[in-house]
Amino acid sequence: MVNIKFKINGQKKALNIHDDMTALAVIRSLLKLTGTKEGCGIGECGACTINVDGKAVNSCLMLGAQLDGTTVVTVEGLAAKDGLAPVQKAFIENHGVQCGFCTPGILMSVNALLQEIPDPGHEEISKTLAGNLCRCTGYSQIFTSVKEAARLAGQGDQHG
Amino acid sequence: MAEIEYVRPVNLKDALNFLWNHGEDTKIIAGGTDVMIDVRSGALDKKYLLDISRMDELKGIELNDQGLCVGAGVTLSEIYSSDLLESNALALKKTAYNFAGKQIRNMATIGGNVANSSPCGDTLPALSVHRAKALVADKKSTRLVPVEEMATHAYISSLSPKQIIIKFILTPYQDGFADFQKIGRRRELAVSRISMAVFAKKDKEGRIAFLKFALGACTPVPHNMELMEKFLTGKTPTRELIWEAGGLLAQKMIEITGRRSSTIYKEPAIQGLFMRMLYPVVK
Repeated sequence: MVNIKFKINGQKKALNIHDDMTALAVIRSLLKLTGTKEGCGIGECGACTINVDGKAVNSCLMLGAQLDGTTVVTVEGLAAKDGLAPVQKAFIENHGVQCGFCTPGILMSVNALLQEIPDPGHEEISKTLAGNLCRCTGYSQIFTSVKEAARLAGQGDQHG
Repeated sequence: MAEIEYVRPVNLKDALNFLWNHGEDTKIIAGGTDVMIDVRSGALDKKYLLDISRMDELKGIELNDQGLCVGAGVTLSEIYSSDLLESNALALKKTAYNFAGKQIRNMATIGGNVANSSPCGDTLPALSVHRAKALVADKKSTRLVPVEEMATHAYISSLSPKQIIIKFILTPYQDGFADFQKIGRRRELAVSRISMAVFAKKDKEGRIAFLKFALGACTPVPHNMELMEKFLTGKTPTRELIWEAGGLLAQKMIEITGRRSSTIYKEPAIQGLFMRMLYPVVK
């Protein structure tokens, strides 16, 4: 067993976990934050995407022990007390969600993108979304949602 | 299977000490994007997971009198955002742009990509183009290994269980044409079936004055194809010449692998990909 301490969605956590647990299992099974999904489990679909120290990573490919000392944001940490984050609002208003399974991962990829590049172009959005499979929307509405999220965030509507 | 024990040494010295005693029972983990697949499936039959992802000794990109040094623990995202690599190893930077997806680039390290010894490791062709040597260490010694010799066969590394890759030392090339191209089952996030990297420079008369080229993925280990260098150097690149060179390359690949069921596809695909990659140097 390994002791880890890290910060997730603004809260400090100290856990004793199995050595071979994935970060995804820590988040879903131990912390019961089930917004983060397991799709393929081998780093192809991006449904398990979380932000670790501001970067989008596949939590299924991250060893839980490597969470020690990091700052993590999952989809549950995007919204503030006074309402949804711009990226969430934009996805709702622009029909960026259909079945919803890929959505938490996509939101976290986009959240990291907008922190790095506040006004991303089509190519930057495309390179970001390449790591997130969506089999419903055909991506068109997702692109629109990301552009709208960037616009909303740029207006000062910033959470997450 | 007994539970795997996670070990995170504070520095390289402690890590090398640990491997000296327990190397045979240890799997090294850096970014984890390859190792975790085996951890999850239960295929990893080791006693220890040695985490080297936070070691300062394996980080950093710098140009010094040794050459262009890229730490083994540098991530693909760090490679992509490095200005030093943009001006001195553009083919490697372009490789990073096309490597897996962003979430994986944020974790995966260049050392892990090489140590994993997958024939389709995307960093290998560019490293080979830059005649990279890996600085490999165990507790008692260090040695420099040409990157083409890091794998003996597909998925079999020439590293001993006691060794860690510290960094790669590349020959820097500036102000020329550089590219990385690959073919997979889809454009993004697919395992490469064919990959290639190049650096080329033309003289004032428009002839190829300097060329380094390497082929990956379709052969068990990457190859720095010196025959391409010999064939193209000193010649004026025309469409016909590049096409002919691509044909030579495909023949060389078949020489290495023998004719397989996939050859009927790969032979013209290699020629076509070579043409696509080198077309910008046709005057």
